[in-house]
Amino acid sequence: MQGHGSAPGPELSGSPQPDEALPSTAWLLIALRWAAGLSILLATAIARWGLGIDLPWGALFAIGAAVLAYNTALAWDARRPARPLSAMRRALWVQIALDWAAMTALVHFTGGIASPALIYFVIHVALAGTMLAPRGARALALLAAALVGGLAALESSGSLAHVSLHSLGLDSDLYRRGEYILAVLFFFTTTALTVAELVARQAQRLREREARIHAMSEAQAAFTRAATHELRAPVASSLALVRTVEQGYLDEMTPPQAVIIQRVAERLDGLRELIDDLLDYAASREATLSRRPLEPVDLGAALSDSVERERPLAEEKPVTLRVQPGEPVCVLATDPGLSMVFSNLINNAIKYTPSGGEVTVRWVVDRPAGWASVTVEDTGMGIPADDLPRIFEEFFRASNARKSRVIGTGIGLAAVRAMVEHYGGTIALDSVEGQGTRVTLRLRLAPSEKSFPSLPSP
Amino acid sequence: MARKILVIDDDPDVLLAMRLPLERAGFEVIDALNEDEGLEKAKSLLPDLIILDVMMGTHTAGFQLAQELHGPEAPEALRRIPIVMVTAVHQTTPLRFRPDSDYLPVEAFLEKPVDPRRLLEEVHKLLPPE
Repeated sequence: MQGHGSAPGPELSGSPQPDEALPSTAWLLIALRWAAGLSILLATAIARWGLGIDLPWGALFAIGAAVLAYNTALAWDARRPARPLSAMRRALWVQIALDWAAMTALVHFTGGIASPALIYFVIHVALAGTMLAPRGARALALLAAALVGGLAALESSGSLAHVSLHSLGLDSDLYRRGEYILAVLFFFTTTALTVAELVARQAQRLREREARIHAMSEAQAAFTRAATHELRAPVASSLALVRTVEQGYLDEMTPPQAVIIQRVAERLDGLRELIDDLLDYAASREATLSRRPLEPVDLGAALSDSVERERPLAEEKPVTLRVQPGEPVCVLATDPGLSMVFSNLINNAIKYTPSGGEVTVRWVVDRPAGWASVTVEDTGMGIPADDLPRIFEEFFRASNARKSRVIGTGIGLAAVRAMVEHYGGTIALDSVEGQGTRVTLRLRLAPSEKSFPSLPSP
Repeated sequence: MARKILVIDDDPDVLLAMRLPLERAGFEVIDALNEDEGLEKAKSLLPDLIILDVMMGTHTAGFQLAQELHGPEAPEALRRIPIVMVTAVHQTTPLRFRPDSDYLPVEAFLEKPVDPRRLLEEVHKLLPPE
């Protein structure tokens, strides 16, 4: 390999990491909001009926109910799959804006500038800090202070009727005392700014570290691919040379020579298999890490491509390789990637099925659900139940496969799963030891496929 | 007279691995280590068959050579010569060929590492034993 030092590596700033966390941030907010809405209702109920505190309970119940109501709408909205990041970002800001409105109302009805609920604002300042650069977080902290200050100004000037909570011991005059308002605003603002700064800086550091780890993983996958690729050519030529001897295109060998040559050929074949699997694995890692865009891929073409590639192996054993085609359809995938997935599965099925066995490949399309489901089924040695949970792990091989003479590396299925998950699909494997294995893939249909009935291919 | 097969591959070991079974089967084997040498020998020696590695030097060298040998501008004498293209499925090139590719003007595909038996099978399909 040339130019070790200058090996092309992904750029550090290559990926916008904060967006990665967007969906989980949105769901965390929704979960917390259920708790917040319910506790407003509960606290109001306890204060009114349990402790006999005089509260504007009607308004507080309304706020709690409103929080739960808009949270229901937000949860329903967040359930929609696969939205562009900009839309998710917008949805998150809508959540925050609604919360700020609810919090301002809550503060107003619990005593304005003297309200114990004031501290809730800091939660949102901290939350914004996890999503924004320090500058934006500081701006939001100041906006929170302005909201509180505005509310205090409206109440003290009488433009907005102040709600006094006498039973909480809050002096009914506090909201009119400028010094008190200034003091609260000072401590509120400094607290909000400090929290925003601390959280935003820590979050930024985490994002940078995440980006570095991501870049390192990408570089590692690229290195694995480049290094493995360099190994492929010499192994392929050695194997080709050894096979000419093994298959008798030179002079007759003595039996011990023949055994040695056969063993060398077997080991080289294993090495070739390892290299191919590693290449597939590195390719799937790179595709996942770089979020290679998906495109519509003809499912039938990719499958028949793989079936034809693996047919010589099936004929050699022999194992019957059957294809039961479904209706023509395009799925969301990558072009060489999907064939790699199918080839790996079909190759596995043939390898672990004894002579005379059967491998069946079929697919069915569920247009309303937006899925195509592909199954590769064999009558092979199967996988022991104990090994099933680990079967997709890298370098894991089932105990019966390790004992057999079948060459395998244990990374094929890991590569397949990584690729299928990159496509937004699912993979499931069920097996009975000694009877066979069935792998079922569910792949998303390409967007244009969902609503139209299939057209007969020309 | 033995029929001539031109094998174009930049790996001398691959050339040897193909030469041995082909010679055993009675063909005369001519080597070429790069696409220029391959094109020149194809023109001057007019072999009965060409075996061509898809990936030499650059990713597209074999592809371009196939175009030059079988493209619409190629002389009839060259276009008549069948081509077996040697490919590697796990190549990490942006180009990937399927045996049914219309745009690749070759008669057959062989996958690396080349198995001598399969090599002879493909060759005998195009040049049946006399």
